[in-house]
Parts: sequence; structure tokens; C-alpha cells
Amino acid sequence: MSKQPRQKLSSILKNNLFMLKKVARYTPDYFFWMIVEGVVWGTINSASGVFSFHLLNTVEEGTDFPAAAGMIGLMALFYIVVYAFDRWYWQIQNPLMRQKLHLKMHEELFVKARSLDLSCFDDPEFYNDFVWAMDQSDKRAVEVLEDTGKLINRIVASTTLVGLLLTVDPVISVILFSSSAITIVCNLVGNKISFRHSKETNPLWRKKDYINRVYHLADYAKELRISRADELLMKEYDENTEKIIEVDVKYGKKYFLFYGLGWNALSTVTFFTILVYMIVLLDRGELAIGGFAAVVTVIWKIRWMLIDLIERLTKYPKHSLYIEKYLEFLRFTPRIQTGKSELPPFESLEFRNVSFSYEFSAHPKYQFHEEDYKAPVGENGNREALRNINLTIHAGEKIAIVGYNGAGKTTLIKLMMRLYDPTEGEILYNGVNIKEYDPEAYRKAIGTVFQDYKIFATTVAENVMNGAYCEERDGGTVINALNTADFADKLGTLKEGIHTHLTREFNDNGTNLSGGESQKVAIARVFAKDYPIIIMDEPSSALDPMAEYNLNQSILHHTNDKTVIFISHRLSTTRIADTIYMFDTGRLIEEGSHSELLARNGKYAEMFRLQSEKYQVSL
Amino acid sequence: MEKKSQKEKKKKLPFKRTLSNNLFALRAIWTASPIYLTVYLGSSLVYGVLDFLSEGYLLRKIVNGVEGGEEIAGMIRYVVILGGVSILVYSALNWFWNVISPVMQRRIAAYIEKLLFRKAAEVELACYETPSFYDKYVKAMDEAYERMIKVMRTLDNLIARTVALFANSLLLFVIDPWLILFGLFPLLLGFFKRLENIAGHDMETEKKPINRRANYVRRTFYLGEYAKEMRIGGMYENMLRDLRETFTEFRRFIRKYGTRKAIYGYIQSVGLEVVTILGATFYSVWSAMCIGSENGGMHIGDCIVVLGSIGTISYCLNNLVQNFAEFGEHALFLEDVRFFLDYNPTMADGKEAAPEGGGKLEVRHLSFRYEGSESDTLKDISFTLHQGERIALVGSNGSGKTTLVKVLLRLYDPAEGEILLGGKNIKEMTLASYRNGFSTVFQDFKIFSMSVKDNVLLRPGRDGDDELVEYALKESGADEKVGRLKSGIHTILTREFDDKGENLSVGEQQKLSLARIFADRTPFVILDEPSSALDPIAEYKMFENMMRATVGRSVIFISHRLSSAVLADRVLLMDGGRLAECGTHAELMALNGKYAAMFKRQAENYLGSEVTEHE
Repeated sequence: MSKQPRQKLSSILKNNLFMLKKVARYTPDYFFWMIVEGVVWGTINSASGVFSFHLLNTVEEGTDFPAAAGMIGLMALFYIVVYAFDRWYWQIQNPLMRQKLHLKMHEELFVKARSLDLSCFDDPEFYNDFVWAMDQSDKRAVEVLEDTGKLINRIVASTTLVGLLLTVDPVISVILFSSSAITIVCNLVGNKISFRHSKETNPLWRKKDYINRVYHLADYAKELRISRADELLMKEYDENTEKIIEVDVKYGKKYFLFYGLGWNALSTVTFFTILVYMIVLLDRGELAIGGFAAVVTVIWKIRWMLIDLIERLTKYPKHSLYIEKYLEFLRFTPRIQTGKSELPPFESLEFRNVSFSYEFSAHPKYQFHEEDYKAPVGENGNREALRNINLTIHAGEKIAIVGYNGAGKTTLIKLMMRLYDPTEGEILYNGVNIKEYDPEAYRKAIGTVFQDYKIFATTVAENVMNGAYCEERDGGTVINALNTADFADKLGTLKEGIHTHLTREFNDNGTNLSGGESQKVAIARVFAKDYPIIIMDEPSSALDPMAEYNLNQSILHHTNDKTVIFISHRLSTTRIADTIYMFDTGRLIEEGSHSELLARNGKYAEMFRLQSEKYQVSL
Repeated sequence: MEKKSQKEKKKKLPFKRTLSNNLFALRAIWTASPIYLTVYLGSSLVYGVLDFLSEGYLLRKIVNGVEGGEEIAGMIRYVVILGGVSILVYSALNWFWNVISPVMQRRIAAYIEKLLFRKAAEVELACYETPSFYDKYVKAMDEAYERMIKVMRTLDNLIARTVALFANSLLLFVIDPWLILFGLFPLLLGFFKRLENIAGHDMETEKKPINRRANYVRRTFYLGEYAKEMRIGGMYENMLRDLRETFTEFRRFIRKYGTRKAIYGYIQSVGLEVVTILGATFYSVWSAMCIGSENGGMHIGDCIVVLGSIGTISYCLNNLVQNFAEFGEHALFLEDVRFFLDYNPTMADGKEAAPEGGGKLEVRHLSFRYEGSESDTLKDISFTLHQGERIALVGSNGSGKTTLVKVLLRLYDPAEGEILLGGKNIKEMTLASYRNGFSTVFQDFKIFSMSVKDNVLLRPGRDGDDELVEYALKESGADEKVGRLKSGIHTILTREFDDKGENLSVGEQQKLSLARIFADRTPFVILDEPSSALDPIAEYKMFENMMRATVGRSVIFISHRLSSAVLADRVLLMDGGRLAECGTHAELMALNGKYAAMFKRQAENYLGSEVTEHE
């Protein structure tokens, strides 16, 4: 059986206080108004009970009408004032403060997210955790706060009402308390059951959501129309529905026991028992009619308040669990350490005995408390992606990294950019380990077009600048860069030129670029800034032959003095390089110029022949 | 666009449409499970009656009984019997809610969702590209079930409130007919309730695009695919700026609509609590104290009942008004659902079955333009794909290759011209039978979160499928990787909902999707850049296998690598949406036009080097 992990009371307290303090720091006004609101609502909740008690007692005495009228007037005034506050608070003040909190917490998380090692994103376990923290953080903060406000409200209201009840008759209070206690126990058990229930149905709901998504998303629309995947999904959907039903029924019976009988039947019994008891009291003349009426009005309210009070308390351990995880995330320090040295102009980059493996399980700090979010560690974790690599790149050289899929080419680039640190060996920039430099400054020296580049839903100009664009400063740069990337033709067809919005995500007038066009925009990014080192990861995979040719010429032309590193499995692209490095399953197996490698007649030569064969015969 | 939706919102649905939309929801639930609807609505009658008997009526009976000096045994007997009956009824209903109704709810949800799924698979592809349609569609998909259940819930409330209202009004009427006036007052407040709802709805609608923007920013921060780009360059600052902007917008909405909502809400609360409840209280207290029961005023017992019942009545009335407002709201949302479900695809389905063995595919003077686009993407294209012929479709980016393929698959209908299969216009054939004749792998193929086998077959399984899948995987070169997976072809792909699922690399995914064409012996095969993610060896093997395994089938493949075009029977070169050149590789080379130029460019690097080497 799965249990919610036990926590120490002190840590529950500490974590929740941490969150409250955080809210108080970010939005002190929210914190303040939460307390005010709790007290105000507590008063509203108990006022009508106290009011009818006193009013009816006055009526029963039957003489003092002005006093009764005064009471009613006072109550009217109370409502007029209190509701004005209430509406203002809930419709304007509270939402505004929530937004403020929301933004502050998101900003904090985003900045944190960006500082994380890239390797974190390769780790599914970490990734789940992160997304979850993102998703929950501000909601949870609001909940902790609002729950505390409600707690104050319940305490104020139930204290007043119980006090009232005690003045009427203590036995009623005893009956009410004991029945509430039983109900609370039933609820606690019920909560445990529903925890197990949702644990059991979660994967089923995920599946259902997935199927829903397939029908939702435009990405899948084509596939659904040209294949019979539709039938397959429907079948899965039906099977899944049956499974959900089965689990629901199993738990439904338990719910009936604890909620149906424990809550519903018990409250009915309680109510009628108290009623009978009061009839006897009335008959004996030990109870005034005002008291009787007041009890009848408040009895449900008190019971509900007491139960709710406890329910609310049980939420804090849950909050604490989450906050614990959130804290771990905030405390997480990037493993890529910042160096201090100034970055000198680029002369050389050397890989010395570099090995690297992706580690999928190496986040010992990341323990999952909530079982739902526990993902098993990938079986293929810890495989070595690069083994014992030695190579040196000098300023101004044109380098090609070639090899088959999975040879380790892209990993090499990630290490070169210091998105990861090598597991063994070192990488030297001008003879100094790159760890000595500030990674931000170091990365700024390298312009990279990734294979899986992303186009952002913003203007062409901002996409090219990969950030803020300023007309006077960057106007020429952007256009030049786009020309260099062979985007000029397409740019001519765009109505708003470089201010055209890309993607239709938010802008109905946005332009959707084709794969090749997007790639050109991504390539223009490296030309927009004066990088001493340029890395092109499969720069031409989505380009047609003509564009590829133009691009290659353009790159050669524009990068005279720059260092360029091409990665490709198209050997026609890489032929132009000064030095070619051939990789195979994580090892560097051949290096040299194109003609040297052909003369050597090794793997490179074989690969080249395979690719050129078709052209030779057919020309 | 913005303006149009503003107008749409203001438009209140006519009463008839409101009624019909709500009935539509109830009918859907009734079709899925008549018992559920019956019990659901019936139970509120029972609850209504029981509540009345154990509240207002009971109180009056007791207080008046005590005042009149009645025997308490009779009162206690009444209380005990009522209590017993209540417990039995409540327990029975609880059993229904907890054990029986979840089953029915699932069935209802399944029924409604499947209606939507079927429709989603039926509407033409162009709908996905029209934002206004797509928005409605997403809204319909998201809300349909919840909304329909809400209709039922509202109706249920309506019944319960009506019962309580009548019972309590009767009681008040018996005590003092004037009291009814206080009870009726909340009806006037309904007007403000409606205004409040409209403000809420307006706010939600206006927030939607901003929400999308905020969500997009969130995505760029937490999706791994953006992580690299966010770490280099300053895009992340732009994203933070956007995020702040969205929040400024949100705050503006709150100020704009919140004030309206607050004022309308305040009028209602004060009207209800002060005018109605305190007013009636004052009246009855005055009647009891100043007139006195001996002069025809109220008893104190009556006062108690008034205090309780007037609250119930005004609560019920207010709720009833709200219920009606809710029906209006439901109707508005259901409008989208119905729009979507009633949508008739403009692409009319034909009646005849497509010829099973395929045949000659003729394209005649075909032109096509995307909606909202200013120029034709395809311009006057004519060609014939003979049975068993293999055509390479080449051309630069944006020349219309993929669009042509989409039109051929009848994902879009051409603006002009026609497509004939076996001499017959494809519009006369049923979409399903026509498309079933094609095996297609798109450039942006999708891997489903299902087993390898299901991904290859993309249809429900039957006997002998395992061998077929093994064969197809072998042909596409994916067998090696699949063989290494723990459960072989039964391995679940992606981790969408299975933590043990396998994530394949892009190259492997592409091989897997290619296996689809080998698993299904359709007369036509379409490959849109089938080798873009493959390395040269894999590409070479793939093309060889493809050529061997598709003998007798008609094939159109799009490729950027002209070396593969050499393998084709014929090459079609597209340029700016037109069919610029057409012929065999040799013919086009001889023609020395665009194709030859392109081919030479590409070959230059390879052959240039060969030459130098031989020297």
C-alpha cells in the first residue's frame, strides 16, 4: 500500500511558514488583506446566528419593540458595510494581488530555469519535477495563503457560535462535537482511499488525455486522415473507459461506506437526535423558543465549520510536501561552475582526452516524495557518448565533423559550448581549461545553429537577433544576416519585412515559414553577431540543393577569418573544410583533409563513395 | 477579427435557440444513459420534499405544538419517522451516487467525446488552419462534456428550488400573505445577476488570447527543446518582457471588468440580505410585538418560520433567476459545440468506392490557394501518374511540393482543375476509400503513444500482423533498433502515459514511419522527404529497399537529394507552384534546364573531388 510519506510536525510548520513569508515578502498587501478578510468573513458567518438568538429572545419577552427594531437596523448596517468590502475585495483587490504574486513567482522560476544545466532537461525525472514545480508554485502559494485566511475565518466563526450554543445547552454541544468527530475520522479515512483511487486511475486518465490531445492538435490531423489510426485510437479509448469504470466502481463502494454512511447518515441522525432532545427541553420549559430557533439555525453551520476546520488543517502537510520539493528545486545549484578569468580573443580550442556520458540518474538531491511523479530511471542511462577525444582547432580554420547518426557529433558540440562538462579529460581555450571562464561570456564567443533550432513566435528581426531588436542599431545587421543566409528572396515577399510576425500562434497575420525557410532564419542568427567561432549543426538538412549551395558559398565568403565548425552527414557540404574529423560510435576514427582521407581509403572514403555514386553514374 | 468576435459576444441568443441548445445537451445525456438522467432529476424532487418536511414545516409544527400545549409523544413520533425515512432515502441515493453513477457518467462522457472525435476526424484539414474555426473547435472539445453535465445540474437545481419555493411560499401564505411580497423582491435582482454573468463571460473571452501568449512564454522556459536557445542570446529577456506585458493586460482586465462585477454583485447581496430578509424579519417582528397574536398578528412560532422560510424563498428565487441565466450561458457555450458538431465539411464525401487496385492518377489543370493567402500555391498543374510508375517530385523550398501531395490525398480540394483516378473524378469517391489507397509518410510524421506494432499498422490488429510488422520493419531498416527493445514490436513508444515507454531518436522514428508503407500494400505510396533524418548509409539502403519493395505500386517521393531522383522513372520539377520540367533524369539532364543546373550544383562537390583525385 502506498502511504503518504510521514513528515515531522516541525518541517510541516517550517515549510508552510516559508511559503507564507515568501508571499508576505513578494506581496505584503496580499498577506495583510488575507488576515482582514478572514476576520470579516468569520464575523459574517456567525452574525446571523447571534442575531436571531437575541432577536427572538427579545420578541419572546414581547415588550421592547424599539430594541428589536434597533437590532434589525444594526444588522442591516452591518451587511451594507461588510458586503461592500467583500465584493471589492474578491472582484478587484484579490485578483490584482494574485496576479502580482503570480508574476513574481514566475519570474523567479524562469530565471532559475535558465540557470539550470542543460543536462537537467535530458533527465526525465528532473524534467517532470521541474514542470510540476512551475505549474504548481504560484497556485500553491495562493492556496497556502487562502487556506490560512479561511482558517482564521473558521476559528472566529466557530468560537462565536460554540459560545452561543453553550449558553443555550451544553448537552447539544456534546452531541454535535462527538458526531463531528466521527465524521472527521471518516473523512480522513476517505481521503486516504481517494488518494489510492487517484493513484490507480491517474495513468488511465493520462491515456485518455493523450487521446483527447491527438484529436485536438493540428499536428496529428493529417495522420488521422490518411491512415486508420482513428479506429485504433477509438478502440484504445473504449478499453480505457472500461478500465476507469472498473476502478471507479471498486472505490465507489468504499466511498459509500465512509462518505454515504459516515457523513450523510450520521448528520441526519445527529440532527434528529438534537431535535428530539430539544422538544423534551421545550416541553419541560427548560429552553426558550429563541434558543430553540437559534440552535436550529446554527446547528448545521457549526457542524460544517468544525469539519471544515479540521479538513483545512490536513491540507498543510500536503502543502508542505510540495513546498519541500519546490525548495529543493530552488536550492539546486547548477553543476556547471562559473570561472573568473577574462575571456581573451580566440586562438585555439583543444580537446584533451575528453570522454563524456549522459547521466540520467545523477540527481541525488532530487528525491520524489509524491509517488505519482516518480519516473523510473532510463535503462540506457550512463552510456558513453564520447570516448577519449583529442583534437585541436585553431583560429580561422574551417572544420568538419562527420559521421553517422549517433556517432557523437552533436554531443561534441554541446561540450564545446559548455552546455555540459566532460566526464573525463579537459577542454582548453587558448590553453586554459574552459571551466576557468564565465560560461555566459564563453558561450557568447560561439554562434551556433542547432539541428533542432527553434523559431520563436515573434518578429523575424527579434528571431534573428535572438533577443531584443533596435531599429537604429540592428536594422542593417539583420538584413545583412538574412541576405547572407540566403533568405533575401523570401524576405522580399513578406509584407512587413523583418517586422513580420512568425508563426500564427498569436497573430492571425503571422507567417508560417517552411522548414527550409525557418532554417535560414536560424542560420541568420549566427551572422547577426560577430562570433569568432561559428558552429553549424547540420546546417542544410532542410534546405534544397540550390539553397545549400548558395549557403555554403555564402558561409565561405563571409567567414574568412572566422573559425567555422560544420557538422553534417552530407559529405558534399564538408568537403570544403580544412580538416575533417570522422566520428564513429563516440570515437574519433579518422582526421585529415578531404584528399588525405580519400587517399587513406578508410571509412570516410567509403561513406563518400556511397553518397557520390548516384551522381557519377547519372551525370 | 477582434471586432467581429466583440460583436459575436454581444449578440444574445434568441430564446428559442437557448432552449434548443439546452435540450440538445439533455438529449445527448438521455441517449447515452436515460436512467442516469431520470434518477438525477428525480432525486432532486425527493430531496426538495424531505428538506421542506424537516425544516420549515417541522419547525412550525413543533413550536406551535409546544405553545399550544400538545402531547410531545406525537411530535417525537413524527420526528423519529421522518428521520428514519430520511436516512433510508439518503443512503439509497448515496449508493447510487457513489457506485452506480460513476459508471453512467463515464459512459455519457465517452458517448459525447466520441461524437466530437468522429467529427474532428471528419472536418477538412483547412479548418485547422483557420484560427477562428480552430478556436471554436478547441473550445468545443474542451467543454462539451462538462457543459452538458452542467445543463443537467442546472435543470436539477431548478427542480429542487421550485419544490422548495412552492412549499415554503405556501407556508408563508398561510401565516401572512403580505410576506410573499418580500419573497418576490429578489426577482428584480435577477437583472443584475445577468449583467454580472455577461461581464464575467466578456472577461474570459478577452483574456483568452493573452492566456495563450502567457502559456507560450511558459513553454519556452520549461520545454527542453527551447532550452538551448534560451541559454544563448537574449531571447529570454524578450520572453520575460512578454510575460510582464501579459500580466499588465490581466490586471487591466481585472480593473475593467472587476469593478462592474463587484457593483452588480453588491446590489444583489444587499438587496437580498437587507431588503428581503431583514425586511421580512422586521415586518414579522412588528406584527408579533405591536399587533400581537391575539389581534390577528403573528405568533412567535410564526416569526421563527418566517426567519427561516423567507431566507429559503429568496435563496430559491435568486437561484432560479441564476438558473435561467445559467441556461443562457450554457447555450452560448453549447453554440460552439453545436457549430462544430453540425459543421458540414465543405469537402463533400463522394458515394462510390475508389477502385481497389488503384489505377491511373491524372491531374488536370490543378490550381490551389490556401485560405487567407494572396497567391496560388499551385498553379495549373497537369501530369499523369501511371500505374506502377515511380515519380520523384523535386524543387526548391516553398515550390509547392508538399501542398501538391496534400491535394492529391484530398486533404484539400483544388480551387480549379480536377484529379481523376481510373478516369473518374476523385470527388465522386468516398474519402475513406480513396485515402485508403495511399500509404503516406509526411515530413512531419507523427509517432503515436502506442506500441511499435500499432504505429506501423495504424489500424486495429488482426491475425498474422506480427509477421507483417516484422517484415515491414526489416524493409525500412528499423528492425535492428526494434529488435533491441525489451518487448520488441510490443514496446510502447514515448513516455506520454507509460513511464516505461521508449523514446526513439528522430532517425529511428523516421525509419519506423517508413515501415508503414511496407506494412500496407496500397496501390499508391507517397513519401515526403523520407530520408531527411537518415544518415547516408541508411538513406541508401532505404531507397534501395523502397524501390524493390514497391514494384507494381505507384510511388511519388519528394526529396532534396537529387541522387535519389535518379532512381525514379520520371522526375517532376516544381518551381514557384508550377510544374516546370518533367521527364526522366536523362531527359531533364539533356534539357539542361533548372533540374540539370540543380543536379550539377549538387554533384559538383562530389565529382569535383573525384576528378582531382584521378589527376
